[in-house]
Amino acid sequence: MSQTMIDVRNLTAAYGSLTALNGVNLTVAKGEIFGLLGPNGAGKTTLLANVEGLHKPKQGEVHVGGISVQTDAAAAKRQLGIQLQKTALLDDLTVAELVEVYAALYEVYLTSKEIDALLARFDLVEKRNTLARRLSGGQQQRLALAVAIANDPQIVLLDEPTSALDPHARRAVWDVIRQLHDEGRTIVLTTHSMEEAEALCGRIAIIDRGQIVACDTPSALIANLQLNSMLKATVELPLEQVRTLPEVSNARYTGQHLEVETARPEVTLTALHELAARSGRSIRDVMLRQPNLEDVFLKLTGHALAESN
Amino acid sequence: MKRFLILTKAMTLMHLRNGYVLFWNFAFPVLLMFIYGAIMSQFMDYMTPGVIVLNALSFGLVSSSTMMLEMREKSVLRRLQATPLPAGHLVGSYLLVNIIIGILQSTLIIATGALLYKVPVSAASLLLAYPMILAGLLAFMALGGIISGAVAKSGAASAIGMTVYFSLMFISDMIFPLDMLPGWLQNVVPYLPAYPVTQLVRSALLDASLDANWVSHFVLLVTYGAGAMLIAAKLFRWEPKA
Repeated sequence: MSQTMIDVRNLTAAYGSLTALNGVNLTVAKGEIFGLLGPNGAGKTTLLANVEGLHKPKQGEVHVGGISVQTDAAAAKRQLGIQLQKTALLDDLTVAELVEVYAALYEVYLTSKEIDALLARFDLVEKRNTLARRLSGGQQQRLALAVAIANDPQIVLLDEPTSALDPHARRAVWDVIRQLHDEGRTIVLTTHSMEEAEALCGRIAIIDRGQIVACDTPSALIANLQLNSMLKATVELPLEQVRTLPEVSNARYTGQHLEVETARPEVTLTALHELAARSGRSIRDVMLRQPNLEDVFLKLTGHALAESN
Repeated sequence: MKRFLILTKAMTLMHLRNGYVLFWNFAFPVLLMFIYGAIMSQFMDYMTPGVIVLNALSFGLVSSSTMMLEMREKSVLRRLQATPLPAGHLVGSYLLVNIIIGILQSTLIIATGALLYKVPVSAASLLLAYPMILAGLLAFMALGGIISGAVAKSGAASAIGMTVYFSLMFISDMIFPLDMLPGWLQNVVPYLPAYPVTQLVRSALLDASLDANWVSHFVLLVTYGAGAMLIAAKLFRWEPKA
């Protein structure tokens, strides 16, 4: 069995009278990319803050690398590389100075060569003497990642690492995260992007209103709920007839587009073609959308992820 | 120790690269001397120690905590809290840099007084004056620490600090002699934190001697400083108030 790097037991956290997490249990194994997926305010950042030792839980325990965050916060923090949601670095320092300082805070002292080698991985060598506050958003995000691993941690916690980035910068950050994973590091990231969770994470915990409502691989989450696929086509057919086709659980029109929910799209599509032929209609623009994490989220929480954000 | 030195170097660079810090900490004290010199050049012997103390007072109450408050508001302190750095190292490093800045400011004022206005200073007077200036700086910075810990925003801290500063500046014998004040106020002022510093610095700098009441002044100053440091440490926050 693989080693547990993060162990959260019965964690309840509150800000005053507001309960942010309620009885959360979670384990993350060595070498995983683990995603916390949920809307803003779901409790993702609070969960990370408790793992990082930045917030004192009301109840429960957190261990990182086998060390209790509550009883030995300093030792637990040494296990971690951190990127907070807000890129808050000492931005009157240059890129190279920042990496040197943040490594030193962990009593890791990097040589100039080591700093450059680290910056090269994040495509920041040319910016080594630039003040951090003069970097672009994408560069600052990459710098925050470089700083997060300056102490060579085995566990890296990333709070919305690609928020507010353009698609190009976002994919560059994804590549970096994959590299960190390839090096054997355990990565936990929060996101409210399904695309990001599906692209990066081996396992995902769906978090809503301070509770983990499901936790599994993305494919298992979708498979376990036996969610339907969505067949879309441009065709005019009576809805009552479409609804009687095999495997169809629901059908509706959105403008001119017919949307059919089906458990077995191949069977339904054949039947739809037959129905269209009998009715003297032609089918155009057929599209199939497989169930995704958005559907899982909707099914589990009763509201859409995008709506909640 | 190496960690502390690297952090202190970073703090120093951050202060030196900040235009606000450079102007208010290094240009403004000299400007103050020019202003007082232009208005009352014949009293600059009396004024110079006063300017040293009023500058230390504004620095301690307001300027010295500006960068710490900014770091707190921008979540930089929270990011530092996520590292194993003990809070004492962060505060110690920040204080050290600010004490050096405070001492440099006083040096600039003394140099301006001596070179431009012929204020008589000697090695003996400087040797005696600097410990007094340092004690004053520490007490004022600790009082500034209480203000920054107690309020939510840097703007509010600055407003409170400036109010206290202006209140003490006019009554603590820095610019206007004590006997110009109403009788009841003359009885109160000696127990306020800026007055003992003014007396200690003035007699040290101008006469190279200790003030006749130096023991009571010093005890009062240490009481203020130590008490304020304890309260400031209690109020220290890594994050802004919600």
